[in-house]
Amino acid sequence: MPLLEIRNLVVRYGEIEALRGVTIAVEQGQVVTLLGANGAGKSTTLRAISGLAKPASGDILFDGHSIAGLGPEAIVRLGISHVPEGRRVFPGLTVKENIMLGASNRKVSASQISREADAMFDLFPDIRAFSNALGWTLSGGQLQMVAVARGLMAKPRLLLLDEPSLGLAPVIVQAVFRIISQIRKDTTVLLVEQNARMGLSVADHGFVLETGRIVLGGKPDELWGNEAIAAAYLGSHAKSHA
Amino acid sequence: MDLVLQLLFTGIGIGAVYALVALGFVLIFRATNVVNFAQGEFSMVAAYLMVVCVELGLPYWLSFVIALAGMALLGVIFNLGVYYPLRHRTYLPVIIATIGASILLSNSVLAIYGPQPQVLQGWFDTPGIQLGPVYLDSQYLLIIGVTILLVLFNFWFFEKTLLGKKLQATSQDKEMASLLGISVSTMIMITFIYSAVLGGLAGILVAPVLFVSIQMGSTIALKAFAATIIGGFGDVAGAIVGGLALGVIETFGAAYISVPYKDGFAFLVLIAFLVFRPQGIFGERVAEKA
Repeated sequence: MPLLEIRNLVVRYGEIEALRGVTIAVEQGQVVTLLGANGAGKSTTLRAISGLAKPASGDILFDGHSIAGLGPEAIVRLGISHVPEGRRVFPGLTVKENIMLGASNRKVSASQISREADAMFDLFPDIRAFSNALGWTLSGGQLQMVAVARGLMAKPRLLLLDEPSLGLAPVIVQAVFRIISQIRKDTTVLLVEQNARMGLSVADHGFVLETGRIVLGGKPDELWGNEAIAAAYLGSHAKSHA
Repeated sequence: MDLVLQLLFTGIGIGAVYALVALGFVLIFRATNVVNFAQGEFSMVAAYLMVVCVELGLPYWLSFVIALAGMALLGVIFNLGVYYPLRHRTYLPVIIATIGASILLSNSVLAIYGPQPQVLQGWFDTPGIQLGPVYLDSQYLLIIGVTILLVLFNFWFFEKTLLGKKLQATSQDKEMASLLGISVSTMIMITFIYSAVLGGLAGILVAPVLFVSIQMGSTIALKAFAATIIGGFGDVAGAIVGGLALGVIETFGAAYISVPYKDGFAFLVLIAFLVFRPQGIFGERVAEKA
């Protein structure tokens, strides 16, 4: 049984059908990458899983149980942590406070949360020095680290990462992906990426979304091998991989 | 010089009341992005609750506890009845609902108690103490003392506790807070309860200095609203400094310029700020809203 299974998911924003029957499965322990152009429905898929967007029809099964229609507060308590697009680090709170609040879905003491947040800096040494800096003072790369660290504080069984590379310098993107390849040891990850090369480099499985539908799915090698897809989503250099 | 000290004491005392009500404005504004125009009526209702309890012959401290508990309950009802049903709408319907609630509260009290202003005795039997050249009125001492304690509590609560951080997170980004598992509706409920108690406390403390009347709420609220703008809208420290500054300014204005125009000075200062420094003393930290 897959950890996460989405069946024929339809999500509407008013008149617009953002997802028109998406079906994907994420197996326990995998990193699955969702690729696609802007507006294809990648973020909407994640928002539907975490409860920010309500499904019009279809179902979302987590661990075999339907979570479609639950609110975000309930879903994160089940063990799905969503690191949304734009990082959304609380600007008026410090880095450590932001990370600590990531544990709000669990019933643990404040001192325990504080210790866990300190331990999180071992995985993210680059932000340790900014522990007491307010969120709004950080750079894009630092914000991304804080956002991922905060997402991990939920001790998720499934981590949803939305465009972690967006707007970051290449060297920072590499640092972020090094962290993702470390996280995967303990956590299943569903990753949305516009940077297909990076996104597939850490993935066990990939899906390509196009205007609200899955048009292709497969192992990264198979996706690199599909010429039409490679040209459209993976950049012109992709052919050399095929 | 003696007069200056005396006026400063009185000004800070009355300013502390504005500061408490202003704090209530700011906390609700930060949590809901809406100005609660019934904030002043919280003060008025609490003062009347106090009058009722004292007239029933209850001890002063018990009346105080009952009045504050009543305010906590009013905060719950207010949230459920006024804010919660409209929480997914724009700010305008919510603001109009708070104005409606304010009219409802004052007219309910009017219907029950009539238009006659009531008198509430102070907490202490001693009217005050003479300290050198300054006469320290006991009620003003109480107001200042309670305000200092509350400002300290407020700082501790919001800066040192996890619950305070969750409240801050909710006011900064509700959707993100809910993604982390923070119950946004609970956080907003706590904010309304806390703000109603703050407003009520201000009303109870100031009641022995003024008369307890239907209009006392709107007068205090207008000054407190001016104080929040002077301090910098949405800023907690600004609300406190703005409230104290306004109390001092109007006391000095009344003493040295004109007593009948006492209430006018607050708004003169407000207009000056709106023209020359609309972001207030502490400014709006734009980055915090990003």
